[in-house]
Amino acid sequence: MERRSFLKGFGAVSACVALVPTIASAADEAKKVKGPNEMSVESALNAITGGKAVTPSSKVSLSAPEIAENGAVVPVKVSVESPMSANDYVKAIHVLATKNNNSRCANVYLTPANGEATFATRIKLGSTQDVLAVAEMSNGTFLSAKQNVKVTIGGCG
Amino acid sequence: MHKLSICTALFSLALCGILNAEESMSMNAADKAMYAEMLENNPAAMDIAEGEELFNAQIGQEAYAKMLGVSVKDLPKTIAGFPRLVKAAGKVVTLSQSLQMAAAQQGKAVPKLESKEMVKMSGYVKSLANDLKTNIDVKVNKQMEEMVVLGKHIFEERRGGRGLSCNSCHSPDIIGSRLRMQELPDLGAPTTASASTWHAYRMTQSAMVSFDKRMQQCMKNALLAELPLGSKEMVALEVYVTNKGKGNTIQIPGLKR
Amino acid sequence: MKTLIKVKPKDYKVGEIVKIDFMAMHPMESGMRKDKDTGQIVPAHFINEVNFFFNDKMLTKMVTWESLSVNPVLSISMKVSATGTLKVLAKDNKGDNVESSVAITPKG
Repeated sequence: MERRSFLKGFGAVSACVALVPTIASAADEAKKVKGPNEMSVESALNAITGGKAVTPSSKVSLSAPEIAENGAVVPVKVSVESPMSANDYVKAIHVLATKNNNSRCANVYLTPANGEATFATRIKLGSTQDVLAVAEMSNGTFLSAKQNVKVTIGGCG
Repeated sequence: MHKLSICTALFSLALCGILNAEESMSMNAADKAMYAEMLENNPAAMDIAEGEELFNAQIGQEAYAKMLGVSVKDLPKTIAGFPRLVKAAGKVVTLSQSLQMAAAQQGKAVPKLESKEMVKMSGYVKSLANDLKTNIDVKVNKQMEEMVVLGKHIFEERRGGRGLSCNSCHSPDIIGSRLRMQELPDLGAPTTASASTWHAYRMTQSAMVSFDKRMQQCMKNALLAELPLGSKEMVALEVYVTNKGKGNTIQIPGLKR
Repeated sequence: MKTLIKVKPKDYKVGEIVKIDFMAMHPMESGMRKDKDTGQIVPAHFINEVNFFFNDKMLTKMVTWESLSVNPVLSISMKVSATGTLKVLAKDNKGDNVESSVAITPKG
């Protein structure tokens, strides 16, 4: 690295380090505000399935970025393989952020008229964590897929 | 003394590490594609729609074209060339300033440059030039020639508590390095296409932000005094940076981190 | 609450599957954020129900939470069965609600 560009970089880095708030530390953890709808992923899953087993399946495809540019806007896309016929369809797609204060993001109840079982949105992630998609099939089974999303803080402002 | 120099060396190394983080620390192609797809559903589309209502109620294309001295048909082409010399103003102005002039001429309340109304309105008007290439001409007259020279000076002038300039982070010899996992953008490259992709929805602010406002925010974060919107210096900076990316296709609203 | 519905692609026929995108301007307050000026916690304020109807028949029902991004975007699929109206009813936890609709006009 040339000295000149290093110095420029140094200036830029120090300016930003000084200004951007740091990631929540252990001390912050203790003072963390509890949200009004706080619910762990275990409780949320239980509410969805009524205690039934959830099986990871390649029929559920979940795409989310491996590294999120910004935790406040993380694109999530779910699609489930299904004929979406009157007797064989996806009843619901549930999206959960496993480490958010309220892990529930959206419960989407589909009908055969959807033609395809897809759902896409953008979610907030408080920290690096797994995003979980659960598909509720018309035969009463639950299939799932998950993906880890690393949340970074980046750049200047 | 010896210890100190080792410390300094380690500290410098750590900083180099931040600046040139591993490839795996930034987004891969698939991630980038996912974000690019988000452009199709840009929440700022709602701001642009509101801007259209505001513009049609306060000014309208006909009155605006007349104020600029062009036909309605030539309006998009003219919009793609801002900042530009507007005869009625007698100086080089930004798109927002020209809208202020048009509103005043119509006897309507003149929205402030900082106002949400203006951001929405100017965003809509700039979107009229979508799919055209930015066609700023810095040699077309003396005023533009002067502004681009002043703009370059402002881009390179080191100011503020840390002696930084725009060029400190956006100069060709540092572009592409990473600053806290973000690649420093080349303000002139087609991929980052600065001027042609602002107004943009900023995910960090969940709002649509104009180009000059973004530059102000950049100054603030680098501890430089913010140049006021509409000041000669700010307009000159916009002229210079827009000219760097001249010929990039206008796509408003953009979507940025 | 301002909203926008998009149907993609622009041209479609009966029997084809289109993408429906619903956007709303909404702060989606989590109830965990402190106001910078007052230091007080900003009360939760988020869209909690979004229902899609085609020709008044329920297509998709959503229960949504504060974890959706500010100014949320929700996308689903729909198999085009006829000409008609797609209606979206969105409601937030403070009782604000909005109805928006878009015409579904298959060609051929």
